[in-house]
Amino acid sequence: MPEWDKILSNPEVFKKWKEAAVSIDKNIKCFLEFDPEKGINLSNREAAAEGAETKPEDKTLSGIPFAVKDNIAVESFKLTCGSKILSNFVSPYTATAVTKLQKNGAVVVGKTNLDEFGMGSSTENSAFTQTHNPWDLKRVPGGSSGGSAAAVAAGLVPFALGSDTGGSIRQPASFCGVYGLKPTYGSVSRFGLVAYASSLEVIGVIAKTVSMLKNVFKVMHGEDPYDHSSLPAEEKTFNGKITKIGFPKELKSIELYPSVRKTLDSTIKNYKQMGYDISEISLPTLEYVVSAYYVIATAEASANLARFDGIRYGERDFSAENPEELMLSSRNRGFGKEVKLRILLGTYVLRSGFQEQYYLRAQKIRTAIRKDLQRAFGTVDAVLLPVYPRPAFKPGGKEMDPFSQKLADIFTSTANLAGIPAVSFPAAVEEGLPVGMQLLAPAFAEKLLFSMCGDYEKVFPSPSPAENYLNRSI
Amino acid sequence: MHMEKEELYTTAYMARLKLSETESEDLEKAVSRMLKYFEKMMEVDVANSEPTTHALLKDNRLRKDEIAAGKQTSDKILKNAPELEDRFIVTPNVL
Repeated sequence: MPEWDKILSNPEVFKKWKEAAVSIDKNIKCFLEFDPEKGINLSNREAAAEGAETKPEDKTLSGIPFAVKDNIAVESFKLTCGSKILSNFVSPYTATAVTKLQKNGAVVVGKTNLDEFGMGSSTENSAFTQTHNPWDLKRVPGGSSGGSAAAVAAGLVPFALGSDTGGSIRQPASFCGVYGLKPTYGSVSRFGLVAYASSLEVIGVIAKTVSMLKNVFKVMHGEDPYDHSSLPAEEKTFNGKITKIGFPKELKSIELYPSVRKTLDSTIKNYKQMGYDISEISLPTLEYVVSAYYVIATAEASANLARFDGIRYGERDFSAENPEELMLSSRNRGFGKEVKLRILLGTYVLRSGFQEQYYLRAQKIRTAIRKDLQRAFGTVDAVLLPVYPRPAFKPGGKEMDPFSQKLADIFTSTANLAGIPAVSFPAAVEEGLPVGMQLLAPAFAEKLLFSMCGDYEKVFPSPSPAENYLNRSI
Repeated sequence: MHMEKEELYTTAYMARLKLSETESEDLEKAVSRMLKYFEKMMEVDVANSEPTTHALLKDNRLRKDEIAAGKQTSDKILKNAPELEDRFIVTPNVL
């Protein structure tokens, strides 16, 4: 098959690609809705409305198909958030980040599976289906943007959008052997992203190559009047080669799966060979990251998910005799177990009498984490961390139960608490599974991350699974 | 810290969640386990720290409350309502 930007325009090639994608997705189940024709119409409309505002040479994504996590709004596509409560909800509008890509010429081909409202690390918490990892169908693709990562890893699309509240882009990208960018908080508009934890989350990109990751981010970032917390592009400039990477000494005492430990060591070795200056730094607050993260995330979730009341939209219990009963019963029927757990926890930590002990303390620890990282960036350009303590696991809770999955967010949720950008890049394949590593940089220094993982890509490009892969050279 | 059943039900009601018997047993364990884990935060000396609500946030910003081109969505929004009478959303009797 030809290059990505030629796939949709030639009817014969389009048909071939669509059939192949549908056939592979039967095994992987990454899409909740797949309708490229609808996406083509939407992009044509946006491009017509855009007129000649964007110069043809700036249309870097023209004709390129992409997938969108199903908690990000695309008009006339469903917006289920992987939840029963929104199983019939059709989005009345499109998220700003998606509109920007459409105006540039990119085409939404479908909506991808996720853990309900983005709450989970395996896509097992979806109310609809279980997505499988293209590298091993018996394993999870990670989560919560598991469908998006699996779609890119299977070669169905060259990039997909996800959202990252505590690692939901980077962890599935790592499990599937592709790149995942969690941008600086506020750099990409959240208008059209269904809110889970507003102070932590951001829309980001999962892609097969660093150049695609970079192009997509470049098109979709920037201030948006519809998102109060969005920030103007403040691209940092760098003088000379940026080659100082620090890794926290605390990693020595944290338990890592052997293949992750091995990949961490080999990544350090590879960067040294490329001429990078690798040094040890200290992040003493690392061990408090997960507790602070879950207090803040659940508190915000309990407030954000209060909007699902069964009255204005969503699942409704028609047998209820009064509004309160309707609300109680609709929410109970519509939400899954993990969502209920997080709403309960969040409600509890915000209750009068407990706020200081939990929520306020977590916010103060958040300050300490930010300061730790600021101190680190005084001596190094970027911080290297694993993405997750282990590679893709098997579903069902035996290898990783919901509690241990939460503890494993230690390396990813750090960047969300600090609001800084982080990228997950494939660093090795061990025991048949890809293993990702992560680089964190100061706010607005995405360019630095692209440069560093671009260097690594020259030595180790994104690997492709032997099966369940749409090989475009066929 | 263990969350007693009664506390769980009070919290669930505040969150407008009606839990079944089996559900509440599971959730009681899961919530208690997390609260116990949160105790770790007590080790940190936060006496001289200011809380962070947002990592990066500018001052309050306002925009005009007007309908932007292509964003006339009210009919599409109403289509998602579970029950409609004309352009009104129907609920069970309040009184």
